[in-house]
Amino acid sequence: MWHIAKRELYDNLNSLRFALATVLLLALMLTNAVLYLREHPKRTQAYHNAAAGAIKTLESRSTSLYRLATEGPGDMHKAPSPLRFCAEGDEAFLPTHAGGANYGRRIANMTPIWRMFYPQKTPNLFNIRPDFTTLDWAFIVGYVLSFIAILFTFDSISGELERGTLRLTLANAIPRHIVLVGKFLGAFISVNIPFAVAVLMNLILISTSDAVQLNAEAWGRLGILYGIVILYTCLFIALGLLISAAVRESGVSLVVLLLIWVSFVVFMPNTLASIGSRTSVPIAYEEFWVRRMQLADAAREAYRNKYGDSQTTPSVHVLGEYVTSEAEENEDYNEAYLKLQIEQGKRARAITRISPTAIVQRLFESFAGTGFERHLQFIENVQRYARQYREFVIDTDRADPESLHVVGIQEGMSQKPVSPEAIPKFKDTLNLNRDFNTAATDLLLLVLFLMVIASGAYLAFVRLEI
Amino acid sequence: MLKILIRRELLDNLMTFRFAAVLLITLLLVVANTVVLIQDYEQRLKSYNDSVKRHQQELRNSKTYSTAFLFVNRAPNPLSIFNAGLDKRLGNYIGIYHGFMPTLWDARMHGTDNPFIAFFSSIDIVFVFEVILSLMGLIFAYDAIAGERERGTLRLVLAQPIGRGQILLAKYISTMACLLVPLILSLLFALLLLTRSMPLSTADFLRIAGIVLTSFAYLSVFYLIGLLISVATRRTGTALMLAMFIWGFLILVYPNLIRATVSPGGDIQARVKTAHNQIQQILNEYERERQKFLETEGIAGESSEFSKALGFYHQADVNPVTLTTYIENMSVISEIRPDFEKYVPVAKRYYNFVEPLAARTVEKAWRVRKQALEEIYVKQATTDRILLKLSPVGIYDAATQAWTGTDLSGLRDFFYAAQRYRKVVIDYLYAKDAFSSREWFVADKGAVDWRTLPAFTFQRSDVGTNAKRALPDLFLLLICNLVLFMAIVLIFIRSEV
Repeated sequence: MWHIAKRELYDNLNSLRFALATVLLLALMLTNAVLYLREHPKRTQAYHNAAAGAIKTLESRSTSLYRLATEGPGDMHKAPSPLRFCAEGDEAFLPTHAGGANYGRRIANMTPIWRMFYPQKTPNLFNIRPDFTTLDWAFIVGYVLSFIAILFTFDSISGELERGTLRLTLANAIPRHIVLVGKFLGAFISVNIPFAVAVLMNLILISTSDAVQLNAEAWGRLGILYGIVILYTCLFIALGLLISAAVRESGVSLVVLLLIWVSFVVFMPNTLASIGSRTSVPIAYEEFWVRRMQLADAAREAYRNKYGDSQTTPSVHVLGEYVTSEAEENEDYNEAYLKLQIEQGKRARAITRISPTAIVQRLFESFAGTGFERHLQFIENVQRYARQYREFVIDTDRADPESLHVVGIQEGMSQKPVSPEAIPKFKDTLNLNRDFNTAATDLLLLVLFLMVIASGAYLAFVRLEI
Repeated sequence: MLKILIRRELLDNLMTFRFAAVLLITLLLVVANTVVLIQDYEQRLKSYNDSVKRHQQELRNSKTYSTAFLFVNRAPNPLSIFNAGLDKRLGNYIGIYHGFMPTLWDARMHGTDNPFIAFFSSIDIVFVFEVILSLMGLIFAYDAIAGERERGTLRLVLAQPIGRGQILLAKYISTMACLLVPLILSLLFALLLLTRSMPLSTADFLRIAGIVLTSFAYLSVFYLIGLLISVATRRTGTALMLAMFIWGFLILVYPNLIRATVSPGGDIQARVKTAHNQIQQILNEYERERQKFLETEGIAGESSEFSKALGFYHQADVNPVTLTTYIENMSVISEIRPDFEKYVPVAKRYYNFVEPLAARTVEKAWRVRKQALEEIYVKQATTDRILLKLSPVGIYDAATQAWTGTDLSGLRDFFYAAQRYRKVVIDYLYAKDAFSSREWFVADKGAVDWRTLPAFTFQRSDVGTNAKRALPDLFLLLICNLVLFMAIVLIFIRSEV
């Protein structure tokens, strides 16, 4: 077996395709590193500035508990992932912050209580430059490496069949599956050598730069990503062997492989996602905005009907209940809308799982800490923090025996000053365990794909007539 | 002799498995994507119609001139199904009033999408062709000469009294005829689907014909690249590898590489800042004149009685990124209190002075802004496109965008129309003496009648203009073809068999 693998390897190492693949992958990986080193420090700086600004604003509100209760925790910013060079994901389209503030309509002479809101990133509507895909690892692996894997394997069986050398090999006392495994290993190693070299160059560039510090966890994640790359290349090599054995003619096998590649890699993810997302369209953001305003108006109207004009003030408790329920209702509505959008995003992504490239793109995103899954994590962090913040305000208020414990009304709350250090601060974190959970299905699917195709290749080769 | 050769090649190509596979996959991809694209178009059209209706309603609800909301909407381009270009990306509605110059940089978007699916781009027909046609061209070409040389048939053919150029010509004609089948067939299917759901005019069919022609030239470029490789190499294996890597580089890598690495020049922020300051000065000048007027009339001051009587809202600003300049000047009141009635004549004089001044100021600012925007954004985009044209894909994309009218010039046409409409609206206001009328600021004695306002119409540029914009790129493709063909002939004539 090793003999066959070695022979394959030597054959490939001396070939034109090996040289071309090495040059192509090196160029791409180096560009990737250079671009990342150009962009990432700016991104981190922007995040740190924004986060520090948010904390400052929050601490300036510590003059009274009432201000903290009504004005809220302010903006919460999403920490940029240091592994963004692995997968850009849809970061360009996703908002970088969520917020808790009492903006919006004033209600009946009172300051409304803060509520969580999830702003949409306004797309750059005057971007007239041509479209392009970011050259991240996900692209290099998903598109280029799979393409190279096909080019290394399309003739590995059909070519030998045509030249007649397969007959010679099989005339020796070697079982067929050993031949297949040997070919597989040979192709696998020869595809992986240029990729490994390119990745090493990329990582050397990134890790020697002062601008970026990768910690142990980041290296662990990179290791996992490399494992995914291995699975993915295996998949395409197995596919190449399968078609090569099934079709018998190199020319035809290449055409078939290229067409499969084009449909699964280039077209399927996007076309399927457009079909999947069409199943239900949530209301447009503009309309959502209008409805939210209507909701606030309706609440105000209901209040006026009950208690008359705001000049005649009812008891503190009535007021407190009103502002609280208004904020809650509004926040629920914001969350319901966000949920609708997320559901649609999930559906669109679920259907693309037919394509292994889309799976790998998703896996890269979840382990690089970018994109959709990461954004969901961020939203969870934000919501957890919002609860913590609310509890803090209520607990502080409870600790003061003089307070009436009516949150959101100046007279009903504790008048004691709050120490700025005691206020909980938002800190965005990445959680590897969670990433594993969300990625488990995708990983399993990838393995399943690989097993199906590999056994197909085995069957095709064993039944091959020579 | 030529005829026999062509027939042989044609049969050779048509009978192969690869031809059937290519035909099938092209049809499948084009039809599947057309269905998705038509749905997408219909959704955008609905959003457009809703928006038009909403804006008409808003205008009807505007009782005074100064608080009117006048918007114009950009309809989705039905040919964006072929090449979406900038059609989906740029803003699709924009406000029209005298204190504001509508441009591409100020438009807004109705029917905003869900950010969680924005990542997936819908694939247009030209993109399918970009990928599939180029691949087809190379696959059918790589072994055309090298294969015959390996099998030894080339020697036999050349033993006949036939020129080498003729052999190449025969190969070219027959293979291109073959490759046209999937192209034309899939387009016919797409057209079948299109005509069922949207009305296409004769001009649209001419544009589509232009796209077909360009696609043909594009396909031919890749076939010739393949042939060149085939002529230049002695073995099919080498030819194939070279062809595939060239394909990967030209289609997958180069367009993304060049766009990612070319970063905008460093002095852009300085340029924006200079223009910003210049416009700010123009606005300051306007403000000085306004204040002078208020002082001579004796009604200056934010908290003056005049200001209270009219519910003044005044704003003049310039955006630091897009340099959007606007001057808003309005009264937010539903009636004038009887004791403030004495201010009505001076209010009329005020608006009659300040509104034309605002219009002039904005036009003056626009001259500065236009130059800056051209230098900053348009130049950048043009450079990108020129660099992209080093790959045939870039040329093809640019040419088809020009045919469909979804290129930059096609979209700018709309904004020029919006600017012309602004002029029409201003003329209309002058004709109605609106600036010095009571309805300008208050509607207590009769609201504005908007029915006589000329409606906004926008016709996409005619086929002639589209052709004029597309032809340079088409010629570029044809030149590529000629150069490649000559190179092939030269190499083939000098090569040993």
